[in-house]
Amino acid sequence: MSLWVDRFRPKTLDDLHYHQGLSIRLKSLAASADFPHMLFYGPSGAGKKTRISCTLRELFGSGVEKLKIDQRVFISPSKRKLEINIVQSNFHIEITPSEAGNYDRVVIQDLLKEIAQTQQVDLNAKHRFKVVVINEADSLSRDAQAALRRTMEKYTSNMRIILCANSTSRLIAPIKSRCLLMRVAAPNLEEMQIVLEHVAKKLKFDLPEEASQQIAEDSGGNMRKALLVFETLKMQSPDLSGPLTIAKPDWEMYCHKVADLIVQEQSPARVMEVRAKFYELISHCIPATIILKTVAERVVERVDEALKADVMHWATIYEGRMRLGSKKIFHLEAWTVKVMSLYKNFMYNFDMADFE
Amino acid sequence: MGDTFVTTGLLGPGPSASLLGPSPTRDGLSSEFVSNGLLGGLGTVPALGEPEERALALQEVKGVDEQSEPKQAEQKNSFQPNGLLGSQDAGESALAGMAPMGSLNSGLLAGTDIFASSGMLYESQDDYFLPISDILGLNPQGPRNSATSSSRLFISTHMRTSLRATTYDGKVIQIKRKQRAGTARKISSAPTQLSNLLDVPVHRLKDELSAATISKMSLSKTATTVSQADKPSNLAPEDTLWVDRYRPRKFTELLGNERVARETMAWLKQWDWCVFGKKKSKKRLREDDENYNPDDEYHRPREKLLLISGPPGLGKTTLAHVVAKQAGYEVMEINASDARSAQVIDERIRPALESGSAVGSIKPMLLIIDEIDGATGGSDNSSGFVNKLVSLTFDKPKNKRKFFTGHWKKSDQNDKRPLLRPIICICNDQNANALAKLRPHARQIRYTRLADGHIVKRLREICELEGLQADTRALSTLVGVAKGDLRGCLNTLQFIKSRSDEVTEPLIRRATVGMKEGDTTISSVTNQIFAPLSRRRVKELGIGEEEEARYVNRLSHSIEGLNNPASIANSCFAHYINCHRHDANLNHYEKAGDWLTTFDTFSSVMYTDGDFALHKYLSYFLVPFHPLFRERGGKRVERDSTDWENLQLTRANEEIYKSLSNGIRSAGRTAGASRHLITGQVLQLEFVPYINRIISPPLRPVNSQVIKAQEKSLLMRLVEIMVSFELRFVQEKAEDGQLVYRLDPPIDVFITYDGKRAADIAVSRYAVRHLVATEIDAALIAKHADAVEKGKEDARANFFKTSRKSDTENADESHEPTEITEVNEGLRRLDKSSEPGPQNKRARTSEKVDIADKPPVDFFGRPITVKNDLRRSSTSKKAVADFHVAYKYLEGNSAAVRRSVKVSSFL
Repeated sequence: MSLWVDRFRPKTLDDLHYHQGLSIRLKSLAASADFPHMLFYGPSGAGKKTRISCTLRELFGSGVEKLKIDQRVFISPSKRKLEINIVQSNFHIEITPSEAGNYDRVVIQDLLKEIAQTQQVDLNAKHRFKVVVINEADSLSRDAQAALRRTMEKYTSNMRIILCANSTSRLIAPIKSRCLLMRVAAPNLEEMQIVLEHVAKKLKFDLPEEASQQIAEDSGGNMRKALLVFETLKMQSPDLSGPLTIAKPDWEMYCHKVADLIVQEQSPARVMEVRAKFYELISHCIPATIILKTVAERVVERVDEALKADVMHWATIYEGRMRLGSKKIFHLEAWTVKVMSLYKNFMYNFDMADFE
Repeated sequence: MGDTFVTTGLLGPGPSASLLGPSPTRDGLSSEFVSNGLLGGLGTVPALGEPEERALALQEVKGVDEQSEPKQAEQKNSFQPNGLLGSQDAGESALAGMAPMGSLNSGLLAGTDIFASSGMLYESQDDYFLPISDILGLNPQGPRNSATSSSRLFISTHMRTSLRATTYDGKVIQIKRKQRAGTARKISSAPTQLSNLLDVPVHRLKDELSAATISKMSLSKTATTVSQADKPSNLAPEDTLWVDRYRPRKFTELLGNERVARETMAWLKQWDWCVFGKKKSKKRLREDDENYNPDDEYHRPREKLLLISGPPGLGKTTLAHVVAKQAGYEVMEINASDARSAQVIDERIRPALESGSAVGSIKPMLLIIDEIDGATGGSDNSSGFVNKLVSLTFDKPKNKRKFFTGHWKKSDQNDKRPLLRPIICICNDQNANALAKLRPHARQIRYTRLADGHIVKRLREICELEGLQADTRALSTLVGVAKGDLRGCLNTLQFIKSRSDEVTEPLIRRATVGMKEGDTTISSVTNQIFAPLSRRRVKELGIGEEEEARYVNRLSHSIEGLNNPASIANSCFAHYINCHRHDANLNHYEKAGDWLTTFDTFSSVMYTDGDFALHKYLSYFLVPFHPLFRERGGKRVERDSTDWENLQLTRANEEIYKSLSNGIRSAGRTAGASRHLITGQVLQLEFVPYINRIISPPLRPVNSQVIKAQEKSLLMRLVEIMVSFELRFVQEKAEDGQLVYRLDPPIDVFITYDGKRAADIAVSRYAVRHLVATEIDAALIAKHADAVEKGKEDARANFFKTSRKSDTENADESHEPTEITEVNEGLRRLDKSSEPGPQNKRARTSEKVDIADKPPVDFFGRPITVKNDLRRSSTSKKAVADFHVAYKYLEGNSAAVRRSVKVSSFL
């Protein structure tokens, strides 16, 4: 069987444990004959995808759960082959265009047109349209978003689009205005504890109050993470009694180590050490932006109040450049040196440049 | 001379003397002869014709080395201004021609002048036309100059009617003067018409003459300019490049690099047995020759390709050709000018190599592939030129054939024959991507820069041969600037030679202005950035202090010259932090970081937008490293591969993620149920750290039979999860021979940082993994059997409901699989017995499961109902049918079955 995250994932809107208001609204939307384009947004692990699949089930019935997965090959303008995994049922199709990297526009155009041009064949279907779920819509390139906007209007008779994004800030306004925005907020502590207890009850064991609270606090509003942690703990120490030590993800620990290195000493040799660590993180496929963010947050914790703003300021600047650039390590190191220099200047409290 | 002439002067002896003339007068004292030429006509016209023609003939002969005698040229110069012209102009009339003669007698100044000139005239018969044309055409001012002299000359003209001349022998001859003006002109203009000289009116002659003059002039003018430009030495035009002229043609002429030449030769000699059929001498055999391949039936060397690499201009191609020639091969060369695609190998190279020798040649063939690093498709695509070439060397004949020395029997067309001729590949960059596939299969020979001394010596020899004065200093400067490129040196020298006879340092500097930037490797460019110019290089380039200090242009040029700014940026990045500047607040490093990030954003934006016009600015972002980190005597920058290694590691890890996500995609209650785990960064950031912990619970390594209940459920849960995500423990042998269980896909690398596993995860021991692995295997078998069973379930539902266990929750119980297989066995046995006739025939050919699902039908497809009913009742009574069925298969693959049937079955 599968992990608890999957096993106890709500299937219908009624099963959802929190954001009842949202569930009711979705239900009434699904009940009406028409259905708008939708944009679900909210932090990771808040339950966006769960809500989307519940909504789909509400729209089309249990048929949407009969999924098939296949790989489609798209040809980019430069004749490169792009392999995209597509999950689909008779009523909907789910894509993650960011798999195609820079060529997501091709995927969006080809796929949406294809779907839009075919009518629903199943006469028993509750609705005449198919739903296209686009995951990670906020990582769609500008071109792809532009390709989307006209399609959304043109093919409304055959197709509805549900976008799923972490934040709306990277979506262009025309798309946002064409969608019904659905904010799925992260659950609060109590809500998470309710869910954890529900899982424990289903599995017929007892979850101590402190344990559930600790897990909920640690996961910071990320329900998926909370359930993974919960299961991990259960596997590690089956009785869940006594003081729990919740392991942080390794990459996070490692980032903290990097931050400590930066704060401890500021020298070229130390920069070299930090560089090796950054390389290690990057090679573990941790996104550089996450690395920078985690390290910066940790550094901010450790430095003097007066420096905090500056450290974050430069972190944002270098992250911005990093997104434009392609050699992540350059930016990470540039930021490191910058922070070190800031720190040194601050510690000696005068400008060493005079002594050059 | 003038005097002697005067006396002999008017020497009619004309024809006879003129015949003698050429030989004695060669030395220039033959003024007499000259006069003959000119005046000969006066005497006997017919006789004159002869010498004239001789003269013409001479001219033709001499025309070839016209410019070879400097003396003549000088005389020519002196000729132009002098007398004759004067006489000509003045001599509108017939007098003109005679004027000189007259003057001879009177011993006038003018007379001697004329003789000198006329002597010359004759002597250089080849120039015969030239002076005259000069006289006429070039000297319009002539008349004025000589006006006085001509008037003077007039005085003596009355004497012309009879002239006395003395021959060489001392005879005195009287010549009657009938001469008319224009004789000289006539002679020059139309020698063929000499016989009827007088028939043509003067004005026409003049016209003709001027026309001829013009045509001659155009010729002579170029001739004179050329002859004046390089009057000294050999005046033959340069028609070959020095590079070709001094190309070594024999093995012994090869310059320097003897080791390389010998190595090449040695390799080629290893082919001798194969190509020429010579057996190796015993001595050679005993020598341990690491490339000798005793297994090869054709006695080819182990490496069938030779790869010569080295910078341009050192003579790689020449070496290959010379060695091939020396070893007795005919060379076939394929270079960048030929099409080099995979088809070429099939269409040209293979036939050529297979035929063994070129058309019309008895020498065996040797293939030289020049500039192979430019060939296409070596790196990835499998049909590329280089790949094809490598595969060519592996071709083996399908059926072995007797191999005759040098020839072999024709076999059928499709049969690929083995490579029996040597192939030499030549490239500049040994490490070019295109050659990645080739390198392991080729003998590599690296051609390095010769010692400067050798090259200078050779250059000096050449300079001497070419008559170019060169000092060693200038030549060594040249070699230094050219970085040992012999071809470049020779071309430069030839270029200099075309302008002057001397090679001096400034000249070399001027000629090699463009050669300065020749750096081509990443590390050398990086070194340029991080270190100031070395003293030696400064000297070599001959630049001043001021110019040395100006670095922006120099550096940006060399960065641009490499045309790979990204890798320069990488190596700058790798190196700058090692530069020890006294830099308390990391100011320099900060700036360097800014430059690098700017470089990166700039170049990425350029690439994404396709704005390649901006490419030329990229190099300027890296120049600032020079002022920031320049350091004399700093560590030499070595190529840093950290970034590359990291990239490789990242790629490998991405692959692991990919296979993991494939596993996840199919996991879950229904396919795709867990897909939300792999979108975005969830996989890396959340899933992987926790799944690693989930799959390593604290298990004790005990037998699964005696395990405690709680642990058992834990184990079951673990197995369940691992099976669903397609995670396995794979048994492997470690390097030390120990058996280990490795996780596959190896997602535990993601909790391993700096080579250490996360501390909070218990290291799972071999025994535990073994336990888990066996459980997983059992679960997999169960799952598989489950799937088979499910297919049968529907068809057999009414049959064996009782005997079947429900396969839902406890499918992974370890004892289950055996039970299921037992049940399957029973079913199969029943299948055979219960279904009669033709179906069974099908049952053997197609899959059992499928047949089992079908309702029984007879041969014609009609469902068998009655019998089925009968049988059902019978099977319920006893499991095995009561009549015996024997199968007998006939030979071959027909499905025919012979079966003995009881008569009762037909009733």
